[in-house]
Amino acid sequence: MANHEETPEEKPETATTVPREKAAFGMPLIKGLANTLSHILRNEPNTIHYPAEKRTPFPGYRGEHRLKRDELGREKCVACFLCSTACPAHCIEIVAEEAPWGDREKRPRLFNIDMMRCIYCGMCEEACPCDAIELTPVYNIPSRSRGEKIYNKEKLLSL
Amino acid sequence: MSDSNSTVRWTLNGTEVENEAGMTIMEAAKVHGVDIPQFCYHPGLSIAGNCRICMVESNRSPKPVISCSERIAEGLEIKTQSEVAVDARNSVMEFQLINHPLDCPVCDKAGECVLQDHSYEHGPDRSRFVEDKNIRHTKELGPTIDIWGNRCIVCTRCVRFCDEISGTGELCVVERGDRSVVDVFPGVPIDNSLAGNTVDICPVGALISSDFKYEARVWNMDKTSSVCGGCSRGCNVEVETLDGFVKRLTPRENLDVNDWWMCDHGRYGWRHLYADSRLEGAQHDGQAVSPTGTSGALHQLLSSSSSTAFLVDPFMTCEELHLVRSIANSLGGSTIAGWLPAAGTEENFPGGFKISADKHPNRKGAEHVLGGDLFTTSADQLKSALSNGSIDTLVAFVGGDGFEGAGGEWNDLISKAGKRIVFATQQGSWCEGADLVIPATAPLEKEGVWVNEDDRAQRTRSCRSLTSNHFPSELVVLQELQVHMEQRNRPLSAAGIFRELSEASDAFSGHSHSSLGDSGSPLSQRPAAMSSEGGQS
Repeated sequence: MANHEETPEEKPETATTVPREKAAFGMPLIKGLANTLSHILRNEPNTIHYPAEKRTPFPGYRGEHRLKRDELGREKCVACFLCSTACPAHCIEIVAEEAPWGDREKRPRLFNIDMMRCIYCGMCEEACPCDAIELTPVYNIPSRSRGEKIYNKEKLLSL
Repeated sequence: MSDSNSTVRWTLNGTEVENEAGMTIMEAAKVHGVDIPQFCYHPGLSIAGNCRICMVESNRSPKPVISCSERIAEGLEIKTQSEVAVDARNSVMEFQLINHPLDCPVCDKAGECVLQDHSYEHGPDRSRFVEDKNIRHTKELGPTIDIWGNRCIVCTRCVRFCDEISGTGELCVVERGDRSVVDVFPGVPIDNSLAGNTVDICPVGALISSDFKYEARVWNMDKTSSVCGGCSRGCNVEVETLDGFVKRLTPRENLDVNDWWMCDHGRYGWRHLYADSRLEGAQHDGQAVSPTGTSGALHQLLSSSSSTAFLVDPFMTCEELHLVRSIANSLGGSTIAGWLPAAGTEENFPGGFKISADKHPNRKGAEHVLGGDLFTTSADQLKSALSNGSIDTLVAFVGGDGFEGAGGEWNDLISKAGKRIVFATQQGSWCEGADLVIPATAPLEKEGVWVNEDDRAQRTRSCRSLTSNHFPSELVVLQELQVHMEQRNRPLSAAGIFRELSEASDAFSGHSHSSLGDSGSPLSQRPAAMSSEGGQS
């Protein structure tokens, strides 16, 4: 077999095949330490005064969910169950019903997300074929009871 | 040439193989583990050859041939993975998807859709079609079936089913070319007793059962291989449940019983499981009894009885009947009889499918376990004994869908016993005034063996779960009673009871739950050669 006749010398040089003595680990180490040292010497605060001062989340930050509406104000969701299928935490509960609109067949009668169980991975958003669910950058989500943390369809649509 | 006329040597993907003459390429390839995709081909229907997805390369033809109708021949060389074959499949897939709406998110077939599977395996990942898709009708075809014409790929499986299997011929293909779609004639809806099968055999989501529409996504459901209890035919079914609740029944292939089909009476006949009148807990003189205390209360009543009669029903499994027999034997001086539900009408279809007139699943089994005169002479004797008032304690099993109780005459007679213990699925007059009412499992909730009208033993499995039913099954209650009576150390599974039964009864000897498997076996066909007298009748 041609594949087995290949000699070790013919192999392309990759990160794992670089000989130990050639590996340049000295300079990166020094650079890293210099960076750390410069931050220490600058003496600027790296924290913020949280409740008074709020940080803008980075783009793509995964916070609380919301359900989107279409241009007519109806929920975009068609109750395909792909988000609940993709959800690794099994926190999405959907019950489907026939949609009253002519252009769509199905919509959710019930759409509950258990926010306490959710791990905010964003798989629901990725699975959604209708762009109906998304994770907002809202991270300030405390509540006073467990019941409040189960978001129903109305709550998710109002966010 | 090969040594005999019955076998043919041919070449499949470069390997020389041998098959019976007359087989199609698709069937023969399947024997050798090569699956060829198919839309219009169904083993139970005639060959149409109109979907073209099964095309393979042949050395006998300049163009690819369709493997569902082409027969194997001596020296034939077939390639299923060559460039020609793969190209042909890709092109067919692309054509099938031209007018398909790709509304998988709202389609109930998604997850078990043949078009989805083939598109994933064989199709191109994008479409070159930029024109507008055709719009075809979405409407009701019958009381239980809707059509989404846009999804239809015109494989004509449903049309052939109505022509060949049900013989009613309601469906037809209307329009031409890319506007073709399945439809019914005006004023003639599809309402035959086998109509539900057209939904099962539809390879796409064109035909949708209105009963199951939007109820569940198929991949979320659990499947239990069971047997329908609607008639003595014993069709093999798959019970599909979501969170412990039955959502639909689909037929399970068994060429000895129901082929690939089942009737609509069975298919939609499971709503009684969740009827409002369903008994959910045991009651002792009107007081609720805990599930664990049921057998104790039963024991208390039976131990103070002078003469006991058992009235069994033909919905009980052979295991339950065996337990009844051993309990009756140990009580001494007790009698056993059975009641039968009212007979229905027998329906025969040109495709060979039969709906039996006997609307119960286990008369044969009951007669094997408890004697052939169970429903005749014994029943008459018990009837006269009950009207005389000579029965002190009656244990009545009122199973099945349970809305009619044990039938008019029996319902009145049951109340004439001194003390009454009723195992019932539904509340009704038969429960009123009973000393002990115990909830019973309905068909599809039972674990055990039923013997159908052809003397074929088949295993029925329970679709029950902790979320849908909390009460113990009769199998457990009766065994706990035996524990109270010091006949048994601990309850066994249904398989354990069946072993006891097969040791005690000639009719069942040699059989076991594992030997019956998923598709069952005729009682006469046992591993070891036994005497042919069989049964106790």
